[in-house]
Amino acid sequence: MKTTFRGGVHPDDCKKYSRDIPFETYRPKGEVVIMLSQHIGKPAKPVVAKGAAVQVGQLIGEADGFVSANIYSSCSGTVKAVEPRRSVNGKMVQSVVIDNDGLFTLAEGVGAKRDWKSMSKEAILDAVKWAGIVGLGGAGFPTNVKLMPKNPDQIEYIIANGAECEPYITCDDQLMRNYADEIVAGMEIILSMFPKAKGVIAIEKNKPEAIAAMQKACAGKSNLQVLPLKTKYPQGGERSIITVVAGKHLRMGMLPADVGCIVDNVATIRAIYRAVAFTEPLYERALTVTGDIVASPKNLFVPIGTCFEELLEAAGGIKEGKTITKALYGGPMMGGAFADLNCPTLKNNNALTILGVDPVEVAQKQMTACLKCGRCNRTCPLGLTPQMMAVAAHNKDYEAYEKTFNGLECVSCGSCTYACPAKRPLMQIFAQTKAEIMAAKRQAGGGK
Amino acid sequence: MELTNKKLNLSTGPHVRSPLTTRKVMADVLIALMPATINGIIHFGFHAFCVVMVSVLTAMLVEGAFCWAAKKPCTVGDLSAAVTGLMLALCLPAGVPLYIPFLGSLFAILVVKCLFGGLGKNIMNPALAGRCFLLISFASAMTNYSIDGITAATPLARYSAGKSIDLMRVFLGFDNGVIGCSIAALLLGGLYLLIRGGITWEIPVCMTGSYAVAVYIFSGRALSLEEFLFQICSGGVLMGALFMATDPVTSPVTSAGHIAYGLLVGTLCALFRVKGSLPDSVSYAIIMSNLLVPFIDLALVKKPYAYREPRNKKQMSDLIPRAAVILAVITLCSGFILGGLNELTKDTIASIKLAANAEAYRAVMPDAETFGSNEAMDAAIAALDGGTYGTDFGRATINEAIVGKDASGNVVGTIISATSGDGMEGNITLAVGISADGTVLGISFTELNETPGLGSLCGESPFKDQFNGVQTTRFSLDNSATKIDSVAGATISSRAVVNAINAALDFYAANAQ
Repeated sequence: MKTTFRGGVHPDDCKKYSRDIPFETYRPKGEVVIMLSQHIGKPAKPVVAKGAAVQVGQLIGEADGFVSANIYSSCSGTVKAVEPRRSVNGKMVQSVVIDNDGLFTLAEGVGAKRDWKSMSKEAILDAVKWAGIVGLGGAGFPTNVKLMPKNPDQIEYIIANGAECEPYITCDDQLMRNYADEIVAGMEIILSMFPKAKGVIAIEKNKPEAIAAMQKACAGKSNLQVLPLKTKYPQGGERSIITVVAGKHLRMGMLPADVGCIVDNVATIRAIYRAVAFTEPLYERALTVTGDIVASPKNLFVPIGTCFEELLEAAGGIKEGKTITKALYGGPMMGGAFADLNCPTLKNNNALTILGVDPVEVAQKQMTACLKCGRCNRTCPLGLTPQMMAVAAHNKDYEAYEKTFNGLECVSCGSCTYACPAKRPLMQIFAQTKAEIMAAKRQAGGGK
Repeated sequence: MELTNKKLNLSTGPHVRSPLTTRKVMADVLIALMPATINGIIHFGFHAFCVVMVSVLTAMLVEGAFCWAAKKPCTVGDLSAAVTGLMLALCLPAGVPLYIPFLGSLFAILVVKCLFGGLGKNIMNPALAGRCFLLISFASAMTNYSIDGITAATPLARYSAGKSIDLMRVFLGFDNGVIGCSIAALLLGGLYLLIRGGITWEIPVCMTGSYAVAVYIFSGRALSLEEFLFQICSGGVLMGALFMATDPVTSPVTSAGHIAYGLLVGTLCALFRVKGSLPDSVSYAIIMSNLLVPFIDLALVKKPYAYREPRNKKQMSDLIPRAAVILAVITLCSGFILGGLNELTKDTIASIKLAANAEAYRAVMPDAETFGSNEAMDAAIAALDGGTYGTDFGRATINEAIVGKDASGNVVGTIISATSGDGMEGNITLAVGISADGTVLGISFTELNETPGLGSLCGESPFKDQFNGVQTTRFSLDNSATKIDSVAGATISSRAVVNAINAALDFYAANAQ
């Protein structure tokens, strides 16, 4: 098997701040705000009302439709309100606001051990659906839907994505080091549903401890393999990792299952194990609080719905004499910027990254005309030509952008933008152009 | 708490950028050119340093001034103007007057770069466009490779004249040429750029490779390893392949495009050198290819990986980009057409030349009515094969020997046409009329481009008339029985004329029965 894909970039991984810091469990002190839309698909329907008493692991939002997910309380206390609150991306989202009593009493039945080996495929799928598990790596796609491909017999590879190619973030690294057995058990659960498939645990080589731990846990299991990957961004991107493992390239609109793959983040796989073997719904996740100006960066188990501002305080705030210029949910390559840290964590937030200097601000000052140097073309992991796409976008030649240059394929990984010496805002141009083309298609009645 | 009072920056990702900037990219090119620059300055002396400084400073000042006048943000800081200035300087002979780099830089930056929209918008490599502008406007200064006032030929010129070349001297940059002529220094710089990612392998490899192959095809000569190395190392091919053709702004953006473009440049370059008569082939080849870059870019749009056929299903023919094949075929065809035209018209051109020469021949032998040939002398000329004649006459060649006869068929004398390559401004070709006893009947010039008012006086009385009626085998500018007074201020031209005449006399003496 290969160890990498074509293209990509080598940003400083910045994992030194938190890579060796063991997990702590953080207990929120103030109110906990649990959003009803933490996944791709329809928001969940609230099943509690103001004044209701809730406990940890109690269902408070019910999946509404096929692509949706259950939402659970992550603390015990009283429901203060069901109202729209500001989400990380600035949108107002219907949320259940819980007045946290600080006791974290578990709801009845949560944590009950089950023997998954005797469970049927349907029972496992039900357990995953019940637990409200979504992709914890960032996308937030409901996992039970992923585990029900149309072509179960053609699935060749179950890929555990432990690449963690985003700079700064280390929570998956720590999970693999400390919970290797649980991740392997999670893989075995999935493999039990796809007996013909092979399990591949793909980890970038900058995490040797995690690779060693996973190899130890996989020892003696013939259908499981640890695949060390070259350290390169976007190695952990779904398309990149499928290219490496299966040697196939996805096109826009294709699902991994179409090329015989199912890809799940290692945190998601551990959540599947916890849900199936311990009847534990998804109410807590691993999250890294990091950044060059954070006083003591941390890897934390965080109840979903905890305010980000509290998490920064838990990491000791920022260093004396420093000021925050930018705060990100996720890593610096694909993460989003906060307008305000006073918003709750979601299921798919894997990091809070605090930056003292905003590279985008610096880059804007260094921006020059395009040199046509071709670095963007060389780094695009999909084989696109960002330089020519940018020209087409600038000329508003949407037909050339879509047909000649396949510009809609862009997955916004940002490699071209990172590599550009002229500091052109390529990814932003492409995101906007894509949005405009899709809007035009919707208006014309076609498209998705 | 204090965090919420501070306004946070908002933007889309990526929130981290590579440390590489335009200025660093340009600085890398400057660093890569440093070995060649330093070698040039050490080898050619202080004047070379002045040429470099004038060129670089003019480029930067002109760009700054244009930005100021056009009310645009000043772009001198990105160092691209400095790169253009340095590249232009390295393509100039070391001895050029300082107004040459000034005008060249001015044209390169103002006309080719700024007026087309500045950095990234120019359609031709500004440095090369500047060089071509200078080649056309100041042909003699641009092809005058002299060190400390002594004219010397470039390795390529000597090679074309049939002399052997010490490759090692060319390689190290100890031979004559432009300021940046050291092959070793250029390779060192190219390697640095390759490692730093400033250039990729495609253009240099494809350009030099196709150049070597095309030279073979167009010239019809098999290349020995030494000749191959010489072809690659001479005439700015490496400078073009490593630094000029790889200029990102004026080259294609994809790998396939680079390959096609490299092949095109190399082929054109060989075509111009073998079949053309211009003093430069690389510059024109690159500039012409620059103009085709938008076509190459659009013809070879990269397919995303997901849309490509799996490699094992591919035919070998699919691996070579189609446009590359088309371009190569077009260049090869035009090469053969030009070559064929040359063959077809060669005799016509020769007869036209003869007619022009006939006038000169009559002038040196007014008594002759008809002109014929002398087999022995023709054979001797054929044996020389255009090479230098003798060892005492500088770069002199013998072109033709004609026997003049009077109306009754008696031989009046022999006319020898000889050329000296040592003129101030190129070749001097003259006809010498020699009577049977070796007396000079007269001389007449068929090619004389010497400096007006100085060297050109060689073609006029009284200088010209000093030879008439003298019976000797050797004239001299120094004290001797057959002393010739040189034209004041044109010693080089005078010496060249005397050398050509002496060669003619020597040839006559050796071959007359």
